[in-house]
Amino acid sequence: MLSFIVKRVGQSVLVLLITGLVAFSMFTFVGDPIDNMLGQERTIEDVERLREQLGLDKPFVVQYYRFLEQAVQGNFGVSYRQGRPVAEILLERAPATLELAAVSGIFAILMGIALGVFTAIRRNGFAANLIMSASLIGVSLPTFLIGILLIYLFSVELGWLPSFGRGDTVDLGGWTTGFLTASGLKALILPSITLGLYQMTLIMRLVRSEMLEVLRQDYIRFAKARGLSDRVINFRHALKNTMVPVITVIGLQLGSIIAFAIITETVFQWPGVGLLFINAIQFVDIPVMAAYLMLISVMFVAINLLVDILYAFIDPRLRVAA
Amino acid sequence: MHRLSTALALVLALPATAEEFNFAVTTDPQTMDPHAVNSTPVLGFLNNVYEGLVRRGKDMSIEPSLAVSWEPIGEGEGWRFKLREGVTFQDGAAFNADDVVFSYERAASEQADTSSWFAPVSEVIKVDDYTVDIMTTAPNPIFPDSIANWMMMDSGWAEANGAARPDKDQGNYATLNANGTGPFQVVSRQPDLETVLEPHAGWWGEVEHNLTRVTMTPIQNPATALAALLSGDVDFINPVPIQDVARLEGNPEVRVIQGIEARVIMLGFDQQEGSAESGQGGADMFLDPRAREAVAKAINVPAILQTIMRGNAEVASQMVSPAMRGFSEANAAPYVYDAEAARSLAEEAGLAGQTIAFKCPNDRYLNDEAVCQAVTSMLAQAGMDVSLDAMPVSNYWPELRADNFDMYLLGWSPGTFDAEHPIRFLAATQDDEAKLGSWNFGGYSNARVDELLPMIQSEIDDTARQAMLDETAKILQDEVAYVPLYVQPLVWGARSGVELTQRPDDFFILRWVTVN
Repeated sequence: MLSFIVKRVGQSVLVLLITGLVAFSMFTFVGDPIDNMLGQERTIEDVERLREQLGLDKPFVVQYYRFLEQAVQGNFGVSYRQGRPVAEILLERAPATLELAAVSGIFAILMGIALGVFTAIRRNGFAANLIMSASLIGVSLPTFLIGILLIYLFSVELGWLPSFGRGDTVDLGGWTTGFLTASGLKALILPSITLGLYQMTLIMRLVRSEMLEVLRQDYIRFAKARGLSDRVINFRHALKNTMVPVITVIGLQLGSIIAFAIITETVFQWPGVGLLFINAIQFVDIPVMAAYLMLISVMFVAINLLVDILYAFIDPRLRVAA
Repeated sequence: MHRLSTALALVLALPATAEEFNFAVTTDPQTMDPHAVNSTPVLGFLNNVYEGLVRRGKDMSIEPSLAVSWEPIGEGEGWRFKLREGVTFQDGAAFNADDVVFSYERAASEQADTSSWFAPVSEVIKVDDYTVDIMTTAPNPIFPDSIANWMMMDSGWAEANGAARPDKDQGNYATLNANGTGPFQVVSRQPDLETVLEPHAGWWGEVEHNLTRVTMTPIQNPATALAALLSGDVDFINPVPIQDVARLEGNPEVRVIQGIEARVIMLGFDQQEGSAESGQGGADMFLDPRAREAVAKAINVPAILQTIMRGNAEVASQMVSPAMRGFSEANAAPYVYDAEAARSLAEEAGLAGQTIAFKCPNDRYLNDEAVCQAVTSMLAQAGMDVSLDAMPVSNYWPELRADNFDMYLLGWSPGTFDAEHPIRFLAATQDDEAKLGSWNFGGYSNARVDELLPMIQSEIDDTARQAMLDETAKILQDEVAYVPLYVQPLVWGARSGVELTQRPDDFFILRWVTVN
């Protein structure tokens, strides 16, 4: 078992190193940050001097090595655009993304399960069919379009909700939260719906099909024969058994909610790490891009590592194979 | 007493005096350090917080700011500035000549991005607490014009906080904090998120605005910014996407403020011999002035402005707009569109059968890629084969520096608001040592232009200077060094009830804003 874990961890580190290498080789194509850092009255000399100062005159492999060297010591460098340590910026931005991801995750789970159960029980009802057709739109419309549509409807036309940003936040010892103010909560509504809509439809469709499957099982029929009420059958017996595959999928989707927050954050000017990354690309802010990509890959690799290890605990055959 | 009466007048004139004002910008100022980055977002914003010896008025003319008067010394050995007394920085420290000398040393240092402004300066001397002599190596008639954005920093504050020199690379205290003499002070700064300003109670000037608190939020997505303006979440945005102007004009709650920027959009050409080895482009096709003229005549600029800019821009005849000092009235006629003449010129110059590599940015100027596409098809109509390659600006400049082009699009906004500026950067022969022609990617070179430039720079007599500027403009026009296309429009959007002043340098000056 120990050797299995060690091997898996070793593979994960290798994956991380390769991801970093690919990322750094891509940075050369993103462009040159120097022109963004200097004004129009700069001389060619200034350009060369700054390039050397930042180490951009070196091949990307050397740049990558230097980044790793610093990163293992906990130093992710200084943002070209903001002139502040990248670690500080990421920590400052993370709460916004995590709160958005949490709210949209909860929205997706609650709405997804509720609508899934509803559409399964009222399989041929008018409302259920309407929801199923509408969910197709939710899956096929791109996120940024949904976001803009929601902004125009609820902010511009109706004036109910803010069109951008996080509203007022409260600082709880380094963690800024939007949960404690009215404007912070209002600001969460539209971006959470935008971000969670896709996941919601996914969960809804999954719950529906699982539920339909379960409702055909013998024990449901016996339950009906016992004269149990519909409510007890549907929610106590059927839903419980539906949830096993649903929970697996939800776990896997959590990572992608954080990673795909980029588009939602851009549309709503949501001050999270995704927006930070987009701005970093435009400016060619290499330290920020590198740190963000490494962070996201660490997150995905860690989730996968945990899942692998859990599977190994559950399924002895995997241990033997390893 | 004077201030009291002004305040009283304001109260009487405007019933709602206490106003919070929110505005959105596309680009957050990278730094609060006025000497670290020489760019419009940074200098435009910091003009509300810091001040220079001189400043630009609503019509862009130079007016006294921290200096009350100035005069040339002797036969043009330099300039003597008399400083304003009783000025305090936002932290309460007094402003005097020591701060001017310090700000010179700081802004002219190697670490600063503003050092090129001080290339003509040999020395800055404190005469007494309120008199400063700025000595120049040669007579420099436009020196006061060229330092309108040179902002004064308190020497004591900078030194106490370890910010005696700017730091572009690592950042320092002055990157995040500001302490100027200007009408507004930064009360909170969260880079990229929100910057809050409040009026500086000890400001020396007469208060025209009625703002009590100003919040600046960067919003990068144009559709989001527009929605924020329409919903009233912000009171001002810059820019308004050109395609939305017509729609906004029908909305009584907002208004669009249009003008033209100082920026001239032009086409440049590879005019260096034998750069063919650079791979693409560089087949020496634009060495022949007739080839460049063919391009000039093939482009119907008014049609481009009508369709792509929706009538919001002005045709340009030279490298500066008519609003700039030193604009050449004698050469104010733009190239005339004549597709037939263009076709025969192109044939004569041997352009037929060659593919012109045309490089273009797609996120630098307003509708830049669309303009390049229009140029491409217009050249095709005149029998020229153009291959257009549009890219983000971060990739664009390296491409131009590597000479990978036959033709390219460039916008130039003269920092000094003077016609000498583009000659120095775009028309002078490239010379790294003398810091000339640093944006002359195409390698245009003309001995007479190089000879005229230092004479223009040091000529004190306005008529003689204009004559030389006219001669230069004529040479550049005759040789088609560049093909000026149009002056870029400025399109701002505000809630109705917001009164403001739009300046062609695209600076948003808060002390001219009133909200009713």
